[in-house]
Amino acid sequence: MPSKDKVHSAITSSDQKLVLSSLEPEQLTGLKKHLISRRHLTGLEKLVIWSLRVYLLFMIVVVIYQVWASLH
Amino acid sequence: MNLGPLSRITPQPIPQGDVVITHEDVDRAHDRVRVSAARAQRGVFSKFRLLWLLVGPGILVMLGENDGPSMISYAATGARFGIGFFIPFVILTFCMAIVVQEMTMRLGSATHRGHAELIFDRFGPFWGWFSMIDLGIGNFLTLITEFIAIRAGLGFFGVPPWAAVGSALVFLCLAVMMHRYWTWERTLLAIAVFNLVFVPVALLTHPNWHSVGSALVTWKPLPGGLTQDTLIIVLADIGATVTPWMLFFQQSATVDKGLTRRDIHLGRIDTVVGAALAATAAVATIIATAPLFAHHMTAENFQGAEFAQALQPLIGRFGAALFAIGIVEAGMVASVTISISSAYAFGEVARRPHSLNLPVAQGKAFYSVLFLCAATAGAIVLTPGLPLVYVVLLVNVVAVLAMPPALVFLFMLANDREVMGDLVSPRWANILAAGVVVFLTLAGLLFGISVIAPNVFAFLGGK
Repeated sequence: MPSKDKVHSAITSSDQKLVLSSLEPEQLTGLKKHLISRRHLTGLEKLVIWSLRVYLLFMIVVVIYQVWASLH
Repeated sequence: MNLGPLSRITPQPIPQGDVVITHEDVDRAHDRVRVSAARAQRGVFSKFRLLWLLVGPGILVMLGENDGPSMISYAATGARFGIGFFIPFVILTFCMAIVVQEMTMRLGSATHRGHAELIFDRFGPFWGWFSMIDLGIGNFLTLITEFIAIRAGLGFFGVPPWAAVGSALVFLCLAVMMHRYWTWERTLLAIAVFNLVFVPVALLTHPNWHSVGSALVTWKPLPGGLTQDTLIIVLADIGATVTPWMLFFQQSATVDKGLTRRDIHLGRIDTVVGAALAATAAVATIIATAPLFAHHMTAENFQGAEFAQALQPLIGRFGAALFAIGIVEAGMVASVTISISSAYAFGEVARRPHSLNLPVAQGKAFYSVLFLCAATAGAIVLTPGLPLVYVVLLVNVVAVLAMPPALVFLFMLANDREVMGDLVSPRWANILAAGVVVFLTLAGLLFGISVIAPNVFAFLGGK
């Protein structure tokens, strides 16, 4: 069981039992502070992500142009 | 203690002595106890009860995406093109939404982490911030259009714009101040079902069912052929169905609700039911405004609920009022879900508490972001002279353009064996997801060609 000083004051021991028996470990709010390890991106993945980023920026410019053209 | 991503492949024992239990955990645990009790019982009733307990995020995200701009896009589609190509096309876009949203539900159930959190952790802050900027801008623009819809819909009943925006903000406060995910979800679900008011409106127009059936089979007619205007409606209708906020919302809501690996099958049913309900409302809206096309009235004449006014001579005051109520409901529900999507993402990235189970005192940052986004968007809508329908259509177009980059991260996460374990996407799901990315990218490029090189586009369109 968690040590008492780390448990929120208004949480009763029956609450603790309920939580620990009902939730999966990673559902606990306190454990979500642990980061998931970083993943290495392959060259192909970087290429795809960057290509789509350029695509998005380009298309936003197109939309802005479309708005400008409509207003004129 | 470092659990690491591999820990989520196999359930781990509860760590001892290093856990802070919060009220959020207790509330979620109560929900899970009811799920476990329903699962333990046999019989058809118990299965339905289990389904009832687990549905929510999928239906809410789909009906939430049938938002103000979406319904106005569908209304513009019906008024401009009548019954034809766009009826099966809209159904196809909802099939794409199922493919995409199922991945977010699976990710949330398997990892118990929100989408923004996973992107930041797995791909680093550089790509994380790009995603957040896309989401933040997209959500804010969409929120503006939700308030446009609310303002226009209530305008039908003579409510002044300031009162319409004010009442929407009050509704938002009431909706999230329940401090309990379950209550919030059930309340919003009950309201979201009113999205189906477009069905009786469609019936009041006495549609030609033979034309509807024929359109479903032949994907015709498409009056005017493939023009730039057609393409804007195509993109607006896609953007009315698949948008980045949906990815973040459903995954975070799945986590907040507490779904686990055992719930994935019913999570899929939740998503499909949501898509079916939303597609029904979308098609009904196109059918409802199709008489405007038959009477040679175009979408340029309308601003949101002016569709309702235009329909009044054809379907009566009651039908027109239902249409306006539908537009208001769509905007109200989506203003809540989209604000919450932004607040969830902020909380995940800033590592601040982010749950609808949180009391205000413990979730100040979460609730502040939520209200600040909504209030600012509402204030902008009070600006006089906004070209409402045009803004709405463009916001949907921007949503489509932002989807491919967002989908690539989703695709990679759903195929990340370290994170997903044996729940990585199967090959058929990957083929469908890749198809959605290619389809959205090509649709965007076609729109770009139509703007930059209209002659080339006219050639491609056979003109």
